[in-house]
Amino acid sequence: MSAGAKKRIMREYGECMADMPPGMKINFDEKNMTEWEIHMDGPEDSMYAGGHFLLKIMFPSEYPFKPPVVSFKTKIYHPNVSNDDKGSMCLGLLRPDEWKPPNKVVSVLRLIQTLLTEPNADDAIEPSIANEYKENRKEFEKNAKDWVKRYAK
Amino acid sequence: MDRPEQQSQSQSQSQPQQPQQQPQQNRPAQRDMMYCHECHDEWYRDEHGLTCPECGSEFTEIIEAEHDPRADEVMFDGHEDDDESMPDLERPHGQHPLHQHNPWGGSPESDGPINFQFRQTPGGIAITSTFYRSISPEEIGSGHTHHAHNHPVMEGFAAMLNSIAGLGRPGAQQRQEGGQGQGQNQGPAQGEQGAQPTEGQATPGTSAGSGSGTMPGGHRFTYTSSARLSGGPEGPGVHIGPGDDPIEILLGQLLRAGGPPQGHHQHGAPVPLNPLAAIFANIGMPGFIPGGAAPGDFVYSQEALDRIISQMMEQNATGNAPGPAKQEDIAKLTKKPVDIEMLGPEGHAECSICMEEVNIGEEVTQLPCRHWFHGQCVTMWLSEHDTCPHCRQGISKHDAPQDPQDPSNQGNTGAGSSAPGHQMPGSFGISGEGTTENPFLVADTPEQNGQGSSNIEQQNQPSSSGEHHQGGLGARLRNLFGSD
Repeated sequence: MSAGAKKRIMREYGECMADMPPGMKINFDEKNMTEWEIHMDGPEDSMYAGGHFLLKIMFPSEYPFKPPVVSFKTKIYHPNVSNDDKGSMCLGLLRPDEWKPPNKVVSVLRLIQTLLTEPNADDAIEPSIANEYKENRKEFEKNAKDWVKRYAK
Repeated sequence: MDRPEQQSQSQSQSQPQQPQQQPQQNRPAQRDMMYCHECHDEWYRDEHGLTCPECGSEFTEIIEAEHDPRADEVMFDGHEDDDESMPDLERPHGQHPLHQHNPWGGSPESDGPINFQFRQTPGGIAITSTFYRSISPEEIGSGHTHHAHNHPVMEGFAAMLNSIAGLGRPGAQQRQEGGQGQGQNQGPAQGEQGAQPTEGQATPGTSAGSGSGTMPGGHRFTYTSSARLSGGPEGPGVHIGPGDDPIEILLGQLLRAGGPPQGHHQHGAPVPLNPLAAIFANIGMPGFIPGGAAPGDFVYSQEALDRIISQMMEQNATGNAPGPAKQEDIAKLTKKPVDIEMLGPEGHAECSICMEEVNIGEEVTQLPCRHWFHGQCVTMWLSEHDTCPHCRQGISKHDAPQDPQDPSNQGNTGAGSSAPGHQMPGSFGISGEGTTENPFLVADTPEQNGQGSSNIEQQNQPSSSGEHHQGGLGARLRNLFGSD
């Protein structure tokens, strides 16, 4: 990783600290600054309220020319988070072909929060969950809350 | 000849847990059948003993339900191609050299023999193989069917294909010229099948085999396949199209039998390949599967298909995006010192790529869209993407605003106004779609110029000027799909 990239990550960390979206906490390790741990509370106005989620943001060595990689370490029932041990979230500005260098981590964090409140079923990574979200919202909410109880307490 | 054999075999089938025991002479219905490998004669063991009554040979064998030596011979005799060319490989004593070879002899899961036959043909090598596989009720009940069914077949196929690879001409591309394959019932097992018609459904992992013999309390499968490998693409033989090549059907079956139907893959990770698929990939037969798809791409549900599609989209994530900008275009970008106007309202600005603050007087690189960055930073980006990091406008000339003074853009919509072969991408937007071969043929060809695309074309027209011929079509495609 180039010195420029490191510098930028440092700056972004500073910016996040100055302008932290509510309910989030970043564990930043200067020795391993390309891997951030994010502790996030489920947004109050979402199905995930009351849950505590651990996320990882990994910065590729080509950062900021390539997007950071976001993954949920806490299982979450969500159309945009892969239901496997990776918990990948890959949409919107996080998509490699949509990413552009001026995007910032702080906007990534906001995107994640927005998605918990409003899942994007049209750009889903879990089609069955997306389908349920669209067709059977009650069932979706039940499952999502159930998972929060099971995995995110 | 057939009747006694049937009796003998169906008898053994009613006792699957006790493979053919020693003679039960006092019960004629269970008499052992003998088979001579020399003269192919058959007789009852209790009548003539172990030695062939016909030729006196001692190279004989008891016919068993699990192992019918005649199967090899039948297959051999079924082929017209001559054996002469490779006599040493075949039946030195009337028996195939691999006859006794059981590549998975140590495996507790396997029980049947495997037969491979190789023949050199004018076009290459023909192979025939037969797998036997019995599955006990416990295996079925415990859900181990996949594995139980899987591995011996895989290994057998691996062994067979390795042999093929070894026999193939090095360097020459091997390819599947044809062949046949089907799961088939062995002999009298057919009688049993009627009694258990639903057996296929009962074992999902095995139902892919198109045919299956059954035994009471257990399941038995035979896969027979043959294939012909030609030495090269020009090899003789009829090439059977990908859609109807029976070997592909067989392989499809095997793959399905081998791959559990819950084909989920981890997001972002490769689809776990069926071992068979890996074998085929390893020996360089990518064209094996219909449509040229990777064998691991078989899916069983809409969800699995969606996953594969999204995986492919991720792998080709930049497929939609413009490619790298040309180095010469990057070199031509305006370089200028930052002046007071370029700073934001707060009087300071940063390069949005490295987020370093930029001071007045520092040299930056400005793109045609007027966004500016550190030269080094933006060069890194442009070397991979011909877009402005901010607004995604390309820097290459054909994406720049059209220059009205450029004569090549003026009034050349009339066909014949310029020399044939001279191409005017700049004129495309005016009268419609053209090709590089025929830039003028456009206006009244609806099949080339669907409404939707023509509308989009019109919108994009101002940015698709024709100064660079080589950029014409590609740039317009980019505009259509990539630039927002």
